[in-house]
Order: sequence, then structure tokens, then C-alpha cells
Amino acid sequence: MAVKADVMLDAKGLACPMPIVKTKKAMNNLEEGQILEVQATDKGSKADIAAWSESVGHQYIGTTEDEDVLYHYIRKCSNDTLIENTHEHTIANEEIVSRAANGGYILDVREDAEYAFGHIKGAQSIPMGELESRMNELDKSQEIYVICRTGKRSDLAAQKLANNGFEKVYNVLPGMTGWNGDLTKSI
Amino acid sequence: MSNKVAIISSNGGLFDAYKVFNIATAAAASDKEVAIFFTFEGLNLIHKRGMHGLPMPAGKEFMAEGFAKANIPAIPQLVEMAQELGVKFIACQMTMDVMNLTKEDFVDNIDVGGAVTFLEFAKDAAPTLTF
Repeated sequence: MAVKADVMLDAKGLACPMPIVKTKKAMNNLEEGQILEVQATDKGSKADIAAWSESVGHQYIGTTEDEDVLYHYIRKCSNDTLIENTHEHTIANEEIVSRAANGGYILDVREDAEYAFGHIKGAQSIPMGELESRMNELDKSQEIYVICRTGKRSDLAAQKLANNGFEKVYNVLPGMTGWNGDLTKSI
Repeated sequence: MSNKVAIISSNGGLFDAYKVFNIATAAAASDKEVAIFFTFEGLNLIHKRGMHGLPMPAGKEFMAEGFAKANIPAIPQLVEMAQELGVKFIACQMTMDVMNLTKEDFVDNIDVGGAVTFLEFAKDAAPTLTF
């Protein structure tokens, strides 16, 4: 499956440190929360892109490889401070799998690329930005456990659903950063 | 954690130049504040003419092919890139006097200073690197 990104950067054929320099420049033009795909042939770029993201505070999502080309995915985080959670119903990571087994489902509102590199088995994917237009895919009669990486986007999503008549919505905390269970990939 | 990287460049070969500018541009691209102090033969690295023909170490000439094949950027390109990313170049006044060089012999937008100028920048930098 192809991974969806908002912006693509071609850094193929470039040697260190150029992939990083180009990535840095490209990142300046992204909005917070958008995904950058970096295509590179420099084998060192795999470790470098991950380290660079860590160092400057962006989220390194993962890398795939196809015919000697590396595809790196990074999500821009310019202001990742936790805001106060405001959706009143929350649920812990540990509880959602058993709860979902008794009806209800897990809704993953992270970007497609983040979902592709690892999600909870059975979780349904609707990125935050598409929630408004895809709300009709959700069943109001079921319990919905909304999850993202840190509980921030899922909180906004839970509020949005609650405002649209969904009564059984829970924000999952702490979210995928604290997930210790198995991960399913779709790449 | 310090957000500064201080580099002393004191050798004038092609390999020295790559070590200096690769680390400098990578650090600058990672949002670090970077300054390089060019002293003694290190001044070649930002010399307008000198930087175009930096020598390979004796006996390593065969590596030129490897550089071309790996598509390694040329030194003047890295110099430009480093400046574009905000890396500060400090040329050593004392060495310039000894070698009878002036600011005009170097790429534009450099500072000229003495050891104290560099030390002032480096006092709270981590790491400080010497090449």
C-alpha cells in the first residue's frame, strides 16, 4: 500500500548532509500536522532522518524501501505541548481492546501514514482532517474509542463527534505513544 | 542542553573541508547555532580561490573517483549551503596577518576575529569540535 503524504521531497542521488539540509528546508513549508515524504538513496539517511526529527522535535513515523529508494515519513510538530483535555469521557489504553470486543470500536484519527506504520488491530482509520466529511461512516449506537498519538487530536475529534450527536464517545489516553500491545501494519 | 556547536578548522585539505562542512551544515539544519573558527591552513577552506582546489592527502588521489560516483557536493557548494543555513564563519586575524591575507581574499559575509571571539561563542557550546 502506498503511504499518503501531503508533501513529497525528492532527495534521490544526494549524499550526506544534503538529504537533511533539503528536508529541513522542505519542512519549513509544511503546516503543523502535515506529513512529509522524503525519497532518498543515501543509505545513511534512514538513521539520520530519525535522529534529525528527534533532535528538532518532529515526529519520525517510519521508512519503507522499494528498489533501492528509501521513503521516509515525518510529521511536522511545531508546537506539541499538551493542551488541557476537555472531552469529559476518557478511557485508558489498557481497557479499549476488551471493551471493543463487547461491541464498540476503536477509531484512529492519526494521519494515514502514521496508521500504516502501526495501529491497533481492528481499529478504523479516519484522519482528523477528514472526520467532518466522513462522520456518516460511524455508528452512533456503538461506543467509540477515539485514539491518536498523544491524546490531543483524539480529544478534538471526540469533542467534534459529541457536538454532532455522538453520545458514547471516549478519548483514549495516553494514546499510541503509550501503547504496549501488538501493532498491525498496512504497508 | 546547549544549542550551539563550535568548530575549529585548522587544516586545509579536501578531507578536512568535508569533515568541517558536513558537520556544520548538518548541525545548522538541526536548528543549532554554528560558528567555525578558521585558523592556519583552515583558512584555505573559505579562501575564494583556494577552496576550489583543495588537495587530497598524498596517496589518496584514487578516491577522487569515489567522490564523483557518490555524488558528493563540491566544497564551494557546501560553503554556500552552510552560509545560507546561518553558519557563522570567523577567520583568524593573526593567521591572516602572518599570511598577508585580507578579508577580500575570502568568501563574503565572514567575521574576522581573534581567539577570544571564538572562545566567547564556544564557552557554552556543546560539542566543540576540532578538525
